[in-house]
Amino acid sequence: MAAQDGLWYKDAVIYQVHVRAFYDSSGDGNGDFRGLAQKLDYLQELGVNTIWLMPFFPSPLRDDGYDIADYRTVNPTYGTLDDFKAFLEAAHQRGIRVIIEMVLNHTSDQHPWFQESRSSRSNPRRDWYVWSDTDTKYKGTRLIFLDTELSNWAWDPVSKQYYWHRFFSHQPDLNYDNPQVREEMWDIMKFWLQMGVDAFRLDAVPYLVEREGTNCENLPETHEVIKDLRARMDREFPGRMLLAEANQWPADLRAYFGNGDEFNMAFHFPLMPRMFMGLKLEDRKPITEILKQTPEIPENCQWCLFLRNHDELTLEMVTDMERDYMYDEYAKDKAMRLNLGIRRRLAPLLDNDRRRIELMNGLLMSLPGTPIIYYGDEIGMGDNVNLGDRHGVRTPMQWEGGWNGGFSPADPETLYSPLMLNPVYGFQAINVQSQKRFEHSLLSWMKRLIRVRKATPVLGRGSIQFLYPANHRVLAYFRKLGNETILAVNNLSSKAQAVELDLKEYRGSILVEMFGRNIFPRIGDLPYLLTLGPYQFFWFRLRRI
Amino acid sequence: MPDESILSDGFVRELMTVGDVDIVVGVPTYNDARSVGQVVQAVRAGLLKHFPRERSVIINADGGSRDGTQDLVRAAAISDLSVASDVHALRTLHSISTQYEGGPANGIAIHTILAATDLLQARTCAIVSPESTTLEPEWMERLLRPVLRDGNDLVLPIYRRPKFDGLLIRNLVFPMANVLYGCSVREPYPSDFAFSGELGSQFLGQDIWNQEQGRRGTELWMTLWAALGKRKLVQSFLGAKTRREDAPSDLVAAMRETAGTLFTSLDAYTSVWHSTPEAIETPCIGCEPAISDGPSRLNRKRLYDMFTFGVKELDPVFLSILTTPTHDELKRLAGVPEEKFSFSGELWARTVYEFAIAFHKAVIGRDHIVQALVPLFRGRAHTFLTQNRDASVEEMDRNLESLCKAFEQEKPHLIDLWDGGK
Amino acid sequence: MWQNFIGELARTMNDIVQSFARFLPRVLEMLLLVVVGWIIAYVLRAIVKSVLRIARFDKWSEHTGAAQVLRRSALPSPTEMLSRFVFWVAWLGFILVGISVLPVPWLGPHISNFFGFIPRLVVAFFILFFGLLAASFFSRAVLLGGVNADLPSPRLISQTLRTMMILFVISMAFEVVGIGSHTVLIAFALAFGALMLGLALAFGLGGKDLARKYLERRFARQDFPEQGSKEREDELSPL
Repeated sequence: MAAQDGLWYKDAVIYQVHVRAFYDSSGDGNGDFRGLAQKLDYLQELGVNTIWLMPFFPSPLRDDGYDIADYRTVNPTYGTLDDFKAFLEAAHQRGIRVIIEMVLNHTSDQHPWFQESRSSRSNPRRDWYVWSDTDTKYKGTRLIFLDTELSNWAWDPVSKQYYWHRFFSHQPDLNYDNPQVREEMWDIMKFWLQMGVDAFRLDAVPYLVEREGTNCENLPETHEVIKDLRARMDREFPGRMLLAEANQWPADLRAYFGNGDEFNMAFHFPLMPRMFMGLKLEDRKPITEILKQTPEIPENCQWCLFLRNHDELTLEMVTDMERDYMYDEYAKDKAMRLNLGIRRRLAPLLDNDRRRIELMNGLLMSLPGTPIIYYGDEIGMGDNVNLGDRHGVRTPMQWEGGWNGGFSPADPETLYSPLMLNPVYGFQAINVQSQKRFEHSLLSWMKRLIRVRKATPVLGRGSIQFLYPANHRVLAYFRKLGNETILAVNNLSSKAQAVELDLKEYRGSILVEMFGRNIFPRIGDLPYLLTLGPYQFFWFRLRRI
Repeated sequence: MPDESILSDGFVRELMTVGDVDIVVGVPTYNDARSVGQVVQAVRAGLLKHFPRERSVIINADGGSRDGTQDLVRAAAISDLSVASDVHALRTLHSISTQYEGGPANGIAIHTILAATDLLQARTCAIVSPESTTLEPEWMERLLRPVLRDGNDLVLPIYRRPKFDGLLIRNLVFPMANVLYGCSVREPYPSDFAFSGELGSQFLGQDIWNQEQGRRGTELWMTLWAALGKRKLVQSFLGAKTRREDAPSDLVAAMRETAGTLFTSLDAYTSVWHSTPEAIETPCIGCEPAISDGPSRLNRKRLYDMFTFGVKELDPVFLSILTTPTHDELKRLAGVPEEKFSFSGELWARTVYEFAIAFHKAVIGRDHIVQALVPLFRGRAHTFLTQNRDASVEEMDRNLESLCKAFEQEKPHLIDLWDGGK
Repeated sequence: MWQNFIGELARTMNDIVQSFARFLPRVLEMLLLVVVGWIIAYVLRAIVKSVLRIARFDKWSEHTGAAQVLRRSALPSPTEMLSRFVFWVAWLGFILVGISVLPVPWLGPHISNFFGFIPRLVVAFFILFFGLLAASFFSRAVLLGGVNADLPSPRLISQTLRTMMILFVISMAFEVVGIGSHTVLIAFALAFGALMLGLALAFGLGGKDLARKYLERRFARQDFPEQGSKEREDELSPL
């Protein structure tokens, strides 16, 4: 791997992928690392420069791998540790960095640590988890998996005590008040860092530490744990990165950046549902308001933006009225609703409307932050709500129109998940091979979009300044970095719009449209009139000649 | 096609930025700074509470205010540009204002609002009076829901009004509209009402905007046009309506708007009132008693004095308007002492009809004919107050029915004079 | 001598006959013009009468009040009067043209004056007609306004206004026609001035309380809150 860049993550275009869902080289019906390695050329051609792998550790898979039973190896279903190393090497050769999951908050109840901890109250690992005689401690702490769990405490019949779990009851929380736990987790991270992993996505970080009388989220002690890990990582492995998964309001998220000494990146959860809301309302208000509320972050930090991921489209960080609106507009079928969210992929959410898909990806790539593309969204894959939990958005990658969609040579009945079969989203209709052949497919368009994005450092590193044209259906903003200025203008409406922009500050500049590189009229004294088709967007580079 | 030329370039640009909407709330104003702020805030609260997902806009058509009325209306806007406040709204709410030419005239304001509603393709429009200080957020729901969700064309209000409010409506407009057109809505001349976008566009296409009905009395004209055009009308109970304490009552202007409009309508709808019109169905939503009891501080002696004075001074004018028997009877009535004074329903109906005929034939200037009716109306108001001073709500309703019967009885007289003169 | 007398007589008779012979055709021309003129004047009268009927001139004259005046004087209707007037003016014109044919030189300028007079007469007529119409309209407007505003003596004000306007219109008409114009105009100005002075004195001295009350009722309520208005009456609420 070439010399580590300091702030490489600001220029990253991340591709989130589940090993199990991507490509099966072994024919057992599950994707694996060898298969993933074979598809690195595809990812390189797509243009992404960072891969985020979902958990691949040994696990009973009762929470799709987020219930980890061993942190230092690879789930045999996906291959061996050597397979992983080979994949990592191959990725680095192509200039692609790798982010892996690190679930700090909890383990599987099948993890040896928990097995030991629960075996008796005097076991040395007893204190590695949070135990209590009653289930009344930490009252007032909210439930996260509302649809399945009734309490954050579960009764252990073996040691006859309750243990604390913020997620599923088979995922007991680790006790970060125990220094041994912290040391062990650092050790584990070091193990992977030494192997060459470029970054960790730390899952469920707000919940590491509990204190009585609080909501047990975002506590100062939690921040201390992270700061400690970050300090060690910077000392021993400079240029690596920590990405926070913390579904919180922007003001609360700010704390996770510390003074630039905690997380390098954090997901901007509240923005994502508002992008969908703004699109349905045909009003930029939800988007601009949440970004206005978003605090400044340290220079060396970055927001992470995404449209969809492996979880439900979370509606935790919206008001009740907004949630009802989103449910009514995007999840009319109640089966689509889960845990205060909507379990659908990008294309079905947008009614498979190519214009809307392009617009949302355009916003993803031009709003301030590092964009993440969820595997399959680059070709417009669909979802299967009937698969339960969130499995409907984790179906096998569709490579071609033939056997198993090109995912696996195995018998279809042995696949880890059924393929999409319907005429609209089925693998015969939506697959990489057919889209690669056409210049105007969604895949080809995504490649062009990513290429322009990567060629424009302003978009990754620049500031944002909103324009507020009187037409509320148009979202327009400047992105600036040094002398470079980009103007992004987005029509959130299903109808053509005219908009007058106040560009006086840049009088004399010529607008150069960034995809076709055609020039537009020079900015004069009068408001700049633009007309946009339904859901159309423009990126302009402002040039002074 | 809407007459876009009544919309200034600046206003058209504002409409362009608003884009198509579901709801327009129109507010016609003229120097209403004292009350419009409160009204518009209540409108906004109503829209946010009952129609948070609908795309709405408040449109103010102003007749040339100099007291900051327009700014007060614009301040109701909700956008991402305004500083965050305790108002939480799902979407942007535009609140725009324009000054129309030729004002102040409510008809022109309504014309402007209709044109804007048509251009914005709104599904419904509500017009609210800037003086409706008793307007509550719930009024928005009661006006708009019957159109938006129940598919009605025109929603007329019912208010709970003080006993002696709206005398001209009760003594002239209601009986005439009821008897001649079969239209028995309580408020045929509404100040707060709503209609569907489709109805608004059709009304906009009517050829009245260069005539008097396009300047004043437009609301009454619209009610009659919709009722006689067999559109779906409903009445919706809104709440209490009180007049502003300091608002002077210009009886002459009120007479122009009501009698003038009604008399003009006789020409347009001759075939309807010549026969016996079908009663027009106007169901009532959420109805409550529409009259609130309470004492009156109206000076009845003054009404009597102005009646007798008017009859005496306007004698030469009445000679050219009224038939000799009616004229003589009025003269006789003017000589009756106040204690025994009674302007009967029959005489009043006959007088009104003869005025209508004079208006139709334009025996003198039409506006003068309408003005000449005012002192006579005062006499009738005196009798109305006397009759109903101690009457219960039911008794008042019965008295109103009797008055309508009187108008019905005198109708052949109207028809004779009308046809005889042709 | 007797033969000289007869010869002279015969010559004189001859002269007279010659003069007569020269004069007679002119007379015949004149008579012809008079007869033709009568026919044309009659046709003109008929045309004017029809036009005035179509334009409902009688109805408009009702508005001016002229028709009522004629009726009271047992005169024919305005249409009839005007068409007869046109007849006589037209025939008189032809008669004068006929007379101008006769070799009577001193008549010429007077005949030209007559024809020059007719256009001014027409203008004066229009001024009178529309002036009376306006007087009637405005006086009625003032009457109605005064009654509805509860002013005292609205009829007096209305009649005064009407009279002043009629006098003004008549003086304008006379001025156009050129009959005693200065005299009439001065008389009008004196009357008008006297009236204004009288009104100023009346309002200023005698009517100041009334004026104050009126102004207060009309304007003061909006600007100055009334003090001690607990027992104020309600105003009629028509709508």
